Amino acid sequence: MRNRLIKPLDQDYTEYLRDESRATGSAESISFPKSPSDVISIVQEMNNKGIPITIQGARTGLAAGAVPYGGHILNLSGMDRILGMRCSHEGRFYVTCEAGVVLSRLNKIIESRKFSTASWNSVSKAALQEFANAEEQFFSPDPTETSATIGGMVANNASGARSYLYGSTRDHVTALRVVLCNGETLLLRRGDIFARGRRISLKTEQANNIDAQLPSYIMPKTKNAAGYYIEDDMDAIDLFIGSGGTLGIITEIELELLTKPKVIWGVNCCFEEEKCAIDFVQAARTKMKNIAALEFYDGSSLEVLRRQKAENPAFSKLRTVDNRISSVIYVELHCENEECAIDNLNEIAAQMQISGAKKEDTSVARTESDRDSLYFFRHAIPESVNMLIDQRKKDNPIIRKLAADMSVPDRYLSDIMEMYRFTLEKNNLESAIWGHVGDNHLHVNILPKSTVDYEKGKALYQKWSSEVSKYGGAVSAEHGIGKLKTDQLALMYGAEHIEEMRKLKAAFDPRGLLCPGNLFTMEGDGGK
Amino acid sequence: MKIAVCIKQVPSTNEVSMDPVTNTIIRDSRQSVTNPFDTYALEQAVQLKEKLGGEVIAISMGIPGTERLLRDAESRGADRAVLLTDREFAGADTLATSYTLALGIKQLGDVDLILCGKMAVDGDTAQIGPELAEQLGIPHATDVCEILEADPQKIVCRKNTDWGTMVLRIQLPALLTVSKDINLPRLPSIPGVLFGLTAPFEIKDANKLEAEPGRIGLTGSPTQVVSTYVMQRRSEAQSIEGEPGTQAEKIKKLIKELL
Repeated sequence: MRNRLIKPLDQDYTEYLRDESRATGSAESISFPKSPSDVISIVQEMNNKGIPITIQGARTGLAAGAVPYGGHILNLSGMDRILGMRCSHEGRFYVTCEAGVVLSRLNKIIESRKFSTASWNSVSKAALQEFANAEEQFFSPDPTETSATIGGMVANNASGARSYLYGSTRDHVTALRVVLCNGETLLLRRGDIFARGRRISLKTEQANNIDAQLPSYIMPKTKNAAGYYIEDDMDAIDLFIGSGGTLGIITEIELELLTKPKVIWGVNCCFEEEKCAIDFVQAARTKMKNIAALEFYDGSSLEVLRRQKAENPAFSKLRTVDNRISSVIYVELHCENEECAIDNLNEIAAQMQISGAKKEDTSVARTESDRDSLYFFRHAIPESVNMLIDQRKKDNPIIRKLAADMSVPDRYLSDIMEMYRFTLEKNNLESAIWGHVGDNHLHVNILPKSTVDYEKGKALYQKWSSEVSKYGGAVSAEHGIGKLKTDQLALMYGAEHIEEMRKLKAAFDPRGLLCPGNLFTMEGDGGK
Repeated sequence: MKIAVCIKQVPSTNEVSMDPVTNTIIRDSRQSVTNPFDTYALEQAVQLKEKLGGEVIAISMGIPGTERLLRDAESRGADRAVLLTDREFAGADTLATSYTLALGIKQLGDVDLILCGKMAVDGDTAQIGPELAEQLGIPHATDVCEILEADPQKIVCRKNTDWGTMVLRIQLPALLTVSKDINLPRLPSIPGVLFGLTAPFEIKDANKLEAEPGRIGLTGSPTQVVSTYVMQRRSEAQSIEGEPGTQAEKIKKLIKELL
């Protein structure tokens, strides 16, 4: 009998064929499960029929991981309950939620300390009592798109500006419940199950064993969201975090909360020379310990903002900087008290002067509304760039934004900047560069004006992927591989390691039914 | 030009605590921010000082914790700050507050211009500016959205009105209350923040102001707050079906019900 949760993909659901990457796919059916048992029943039916499943959260990903390649769409946005809380002996708090919980809602609930506890057990309710009297807590991962779901963030190992200090989502996930392609489930608690060398053995909650050989590659020692997380003797939970939905469907997640720092100040530091900005970054990250975020906006990004402010009334309250400024570094300080924050301001001023900049060219945000204005500045850059590309697309539909998301080890920051600048100039391409410079992770956006530019940009993008791999970097540090960067992943690891990844997937999903096309193409699918 | 800017401490959220006896807001400096409109007044004062020279003085009547906000004003360009604080000032309505502020401003000497935000976001009265001008016997304009000309003798400004805008020429000394259209307040620089930590800061109580006891605080307030509550907002959506004509009729009926 047909599962009542499965609906044909008619015109009411066409938006689910797309995600924030603006790529479009195809599907025959869609479902919006409300519970783990719904997920299991849908997955079993699809498994029986051999129909591929694409897992979706809020579709905020930028690499088309949620764009379906035929088959069924399993959209988890309806699974949005916060299921409970626990408090460790050390006084740390952990929140368990379903995969469809949206980050902004979770943050709001944690901040207000107002949880719906009707279905919570006594342990969770007792933990909430402790939580109510504890210091303010927060969930640190802060991707720009706060409408992302927690499930999507885990599947992609999302990060944000503050990942510089606190790490990516992976570092804050302590347990997962995963539905496998046959409907069996895994409960993975951090610290419970480890690989032995590169072999991993897991037992499902239905008492069946899964044995798998892990790929033999060594991951880059940089911020990295490219391919499976693989290490000798690794914790099994890490295999599923960042796996792009290719191994199983994450339905429940336990997250670790951190105590919120008492003082959070943001500082925009302005530089007349880009080189001075990069020198400043290198000095700040070795000398300063209270930096939570270290972000960069280049001269072209600042120019895009100036134009946006002049032309678009919605951006009239945008803070822009003088024309003489070629780069801005945003530093976010997380401190225990104001004295510490003041010491850090003095250090920033000193380092700016050493780098050849003026301490007067700074804007300090100490209040929430001031910080919001600096976040608005930051978020307005990608938004404005997207609007610019949409405008160009109207005249030439071939044009798309080409956005690099690569990272390299610390010592190569200057080299990578020089490489980007040299090759962009040589190819006479317009660009805007911004991003997480503290992690040597820059979003280099090529802004094509013509088909020729677009083709040149694509070739350049491939070249950068090779170069970054040679530096020991990652072809995707944050956005993930999804379906758009599979070629880059192949460049980074090589065909042999991609084949090892395919074999690993096959151990969990022998017919390749889960999220086909993510990370790599399966054998025989024509590389679509 | 000597410019005084009035600063008010307001709660940072809508979830305020009320005093059950006086029905006034319990002010807690940890949960408070500068009234947003006042930040525009401060920015305008600093811009005028940058153009014409002179001095900007931030002044507030409030609890001792307001020092933090006045020092923030100094980090953003005020040269010095004065806090009028005394238990006797507690529970003041707009009349008692404007009387107290007027005493503080008179003691600053020859102030050419007083700038205030057009209203505070907690009380929403928009009365302090005009009342202060009356207490000082100087002209005023409210809801100013643009300064067109300024010199030591006069200001030419544009103000919002219900039917458009009005351009006014005002002889100084005068008082203006400003709207958010007038500028984009700057953030302090690092040297600005450091200046705010040690900048000149003066505290004055009722004695120093030589205030008449019957004109300050709750005793000096003819307005008594009988009750207050936070508005509960309600929003709901209805789907209106049918042909356009029928839908229009239904919408008309709904609007009538709401009016």
